[in-house]
Amino acid sequence: MKPQVNIIAVVDVIGALSGSTLLDGNLCMMDDGEHSSAHQGTPDLCTVVQPGQVVSWTALAVDLQTPVEIKNISFVPADDRHASGQGQGQAQGRPHGQGQSQPHGQAQGYSNGHAQGEHSEGDKLDLDVWTGVVPGWLQPGVAYQYRLELQMYEGENSVMHIDTPALMCRQH
Amino acid sequence: MPQQLAIIVLVDVGSALESESLEGNTYLFDNMKLQGSTGQGTGELVTAINGSYWRDGSQASEQVLNWLPYSLGSIPPTVPRGYEADRARQSDEQALAALQDLASKSSVPGTDQSEQLSQVRKTVGARVKTTRRTSGRLSGQKILDVTGKVVTEDNTAAYTYPAPVITDIYGEAVDSKIMYPAEYGSPDLVTDGWYWSATVDTSRPGTYSYVMRIQLHKLVGLNGELRWEAVNLTCPSALKITSEPRRNAFTKAGMGMLPIPPGAGTRPGTP
Amino acid sequence: MTTTTTTPRRRENNTGRRPVSITAVVDCVGALAAGNMQGHLYMYDTNKSAGSTGFGTEELQTRARKGDQLLWNALALECEAYVAIDGIEIDSSICVPERKVYPGTDVAYWIGTVKKDVANVTYRMKFKLGTRDEPIATTLSSSLVG
Repeated sequence: MKPQVNIIAVVDVIGALSGSTLLDGNLCMMDDGEHSSAHQGTPDLCTVVQPGQVVSWTALAVDLQTPVEIKNISFVPADDRHASGQGQGQAQGRPHGQGQSQPHGQAQGYSNGHAQGEHSEGDKLDLDVWTGVVPGWLQPGVAYQYRLELQMYEGENSVMHIDTPALMCRQH
Repeated sequence: MPQQLAIIVLVDVGSALESESLEGNTYLFDNMKLQGSTGQGTGELVTAINGSYWRDGSQASEQVLNWLPYSLGSIPPTVPRGYEADRARQSDEQALAALQDLASKSSVPGTDQSEQLSQVRKTVGARVKTTRRTSGRLSGQKILDVTGKVVTEDNTAAYTYPAPVITDIYGEAVDSKIMYPAEYGSPDLVTDGWYWSATVDTSRPGTYSYVMRIQLHKLVGLNGELRWEAVNLTCPSALKITSEPRRNAFTKAGMGMLPIPPGAGTRPGTP
Repeated sequence: MTTTTTTPRRRENNTGRRPVSITAVVDCVGALAAGNMQGHLYMYDTNKSAGSTGFGTEELQTRARKGDQLLWNALALECEAYVAIDGIEIDSSICVPERKVYPGTDVAYWIGTVKKDVANVTYRMKFKLGTRDEPIATTLSSSLVG
């Protein structure tokens, strides 16, 4: 078993900001796991992991000189995700969110483009290391979807997210 | 991954040549306003370099600086590479066609050849004299005006200045081994294939000054010939280096289990 | 050997006068993230010696006289970014800027001649940024001053 799986989110920042979306090819996610993860190169990446493995996320701008940072990664309880209908209700699906709800549910995978609080000087997102250990209790074959929030520069349109990537434990 | 940071050096070449100084005629930018750079768009830019280190003290991120010198009011750097040479060749082709046309008409009585030759001369435009010192990218080229047209010897008023050239980066930040600048060749389309770049050591926070030596080119008429004369000037700037420890974003401390809440997860195919 | 050095003629008369270039330096990513130009635009011109002021701000005051040719272009702070002037709104009795391209390229500039002397006239610019469909207009205005 590889001790660590690296997930990289490659963002076309100018494309994402121009179209206010992380879709349309503005975000590609890839990992270097040893098992065959599904949907490599898309925002629907499902990374195959094993309990005890370290998972590490980084974001990289394709337009190298533009800033992109991971603002948050949060795992969504299944009950909440389905509470307000299929693929909707992301306002409830933010267990680790930062206290700000969105005005209404949006289709899954649709990036928002609303302001999500001030990007204060204290944030210093560039110092954050998004790394953690896969818990032992995860059920094999179950997709643990997470919300990936990205900050591109600052301002009204600078934070966008997707809910489609997932981790999945390998089935024996 | 190293963070690439660009410093744009925008020079009002005409004013700088007139006053023989870059002071007040140079505008510096980096794309690091959010990271704490100050003096954006002025001659007093202080570039913030925010480094980071791991728990064991080792440098966690590499910072790379690139300098891009531009000429204010000249043909922008976004035109295709070798634009001056292309325009020169096009004007030569036009002039050749006109000459051919003139030759075929020369047997026709009443043709004012001197008038037509003078038209051809205008099409050809003024070419810059090559000297040993100016050989290189500016030699043998024609002079363009600010709209990209070839200018003639008697109408050089609106000529466009070539982009400034950085010829050295030195001073405190280099002497103290805070940054390691050098000129590199690259397929970069906006800098004619050459640019200055430096890696930065972020382990010693502080403000460090540095100086750019910048070469401008003045169009002079010398014994009836036009040539670009090099004018070397200097421009100071500074780097402000800080460094902070990296932290785990999930735990805000050391590494831990991923915060996956109980009940999360769906089996593929289930609604 | 005697040599004569001359600087090519500049600013002698209206026709031989050098055009005044006005350059908008745009922080494309900043403007797209904010949805407006404020704080993401730096204006400059080449007429400092004639008395232009406000360099590096969004409110450049360009000294211009009747007969002056004005040439506007835009420069992106991030060299990968696309930035272009989409329009210049100015009193048409004073100047009618026209969009042109550098011959043989699709790189545009805007050019116009000052029709009469003015005390102070402001103008508004619109920019196309990145791949965004809708142009973004300036919040603050630059101006021509007599």
